[in-house]
Amino acid sequence: MSGSRGVAIAGVGATAQGELPGRSANGIAVEAIELALADAGLTKHDVDGLITCRNLQAHVGIDEQIGELLGVSPRYGATLDYGTGNFSLHLAAMAIRSGLAETIVLAYGTNQRSAKADFGIAVGGGAEMAAANGVVHVAGRAALAFRRHQFQYGTTEEQLGWVSVAQREWAQRNPLAIFRKPLTIEDYLASEPFVAPLRRADLTMISDGGAAMVVTTAERARDLAKRPVNVAAMAQRTAFRADHDAESLSRPWLGKLAEELWSKSGYRPEDVGALYIQDATSVWVLQMLEWYGFAPLGQGGELLASGATRPGGSLPVNTNGGQLSEAYMWGWLHLVEAVRQLRGEAGERQVPGLEVALDVSSHDFLKGAASILTTRS
Amino acid sequence: MTYPGILPDTDDALTAPFWAAAREHRLVAQRCSRCGAYCWTPSEVCPECLAPLAEWAPLSGRATVWSLAVYRRAMHPAFEDAVPYTVAMLELPEGIRMLGMILTSTGDADRDGEVRIGDEVRADFLEADDDVTLVRWRAARAAGDDYSEAKHD
Repeated sequence: MSGSRGVAIAGVGATAQGELPGRSANGIAVEAIELALADAGLTKHDVDGLITCRNLQAHVGIDEQIGELLGVSPRYGATLDYGTGNFSLHLAAMAIRSGLAETIVLAYGTNQRSAKADFGIAVGGGAEMAAANGVVHVAGRAALAFRRHQFQYGTTEEQLGWVSVAQREWAQRNPLAIFRKPLTIEDYLASEPFVAPLRRADLTMISDGGAAMVVTTAERARDLAKRPVNVAAMAQRTAFRADHDAESLSRPWLGKLAEELWSKSGYRPEDVGALYIQDATSVWVLQMLEWYGFAPLGQGGELLASGATRPGGSLPVNTNGGQLSEAYMWGWLHLVEAVRQLRGEAGERQVPGLEVALDVSSHDFLKGAASILTTRS
Repeated sequence: MTYPGILPDTDDALTAPFWAAAREHRLVAQRCSRCGAYCWTPSEVCPECLAPLAEWAPLSGRATVWSLAVYRRAMHPAFEDAVPYTVAMLELPEGIRMLGMILTSTGDADRDGEVRIGDEVRADFLEADDDVTLVRWRAARAAGDDYSEAKHD
């Protein structure tokens, strides 16, 4: 990041993922915070900022609630309404650069699986009109987007299947991952469609868990326990207006977000050694590979089928297994994984010589964020 | 038979005029009285020029399939008796898009993907219960179908 106040991730933490019955979302977030602070070699008394992320289905995850549980009164507190990992990271970086806080702990916790949260009804305006037409769950819109991609570019179900298969291969190397049972492309193709052309393996699981990060100035991070991971570039974009444009399901605005990311940062897709794509569905991975310039528009399927994103491939994608195989943590674990990979801590799934990672996330058809992380100073 | 799905709240102030029109088998959408833009889904203000939206205008009832998907599993328990069914993203000549549920040209649920991308469909109406009429979209592919002529109006 240019300017005098560079920002770095100094610690990460992840709780067990899966089913955590009897636990509250906020309690899980606090456990993750403890882990991230310990990773950075800090205690809660060293933190002067707290950023949390509201749960989608309940009024929990609020900074005031988590701050009380954590027993702290930091200078700065905030909650994002839709805080995928890097939206929260960007808010922390802004708060630090502005001087509102110096060391911020960020956390997300959820008990959505044990609490049996309802993901059937779409999020956002028009949800009732969509439901009246049978369009429920993000799987519907993702299937519409993929079918259109097939129509326009000839992309096959097998090509899309490589998203889930490659991520499962990574997950088998990740002890934290929930789905580690082998999944071959033959298994994928033989499985029954849920919302055709999408299958179960194309859709995020629902799980309980927590993740947290400690973010501080690059200067302070140098004195802490772990090797700092610098936030080299950030970009975001919204797409709130889509009422006139069916094409919005393809999310072309992500291309504009990517353009801004590359042009402002000076980085290029070729610099990225590992790519993290928040994957509510596998279709998001296909779309973002193209919009972020890793494959020409319409050729993402070929890139996937080439094996590039698998272990040992030239463009490792979601080396944690992603939301399709590791856990459903709104992209937070993608960031945790990127940090561990950049520090060289990823064990048998370590990407050799990794220096630059890109993390991209999106909120349905509404907004997106991209962050370049690096151990280079 | 009970309607296998989720019924809208037809008393909702914003959408009530849409459902009232559907009851009379008319497809309508809001149209801005200031700039003339159609708006979907229903909104308090015109997203184009911010004028309050009060007027509902009739639509042609024609649409083109931009993409489609087949729900083979109920992704919400309410639809368990409805699957499989086909949904589509539709482009309307009025310059708006709509999500819709597709019926075959004979008015049955499209369970086998009879409809294709680029096909023209025509608004149809389904009496879901004594109070609610839902909009459905019926394929217009059969030979000699009246609707096939209307494509380029």
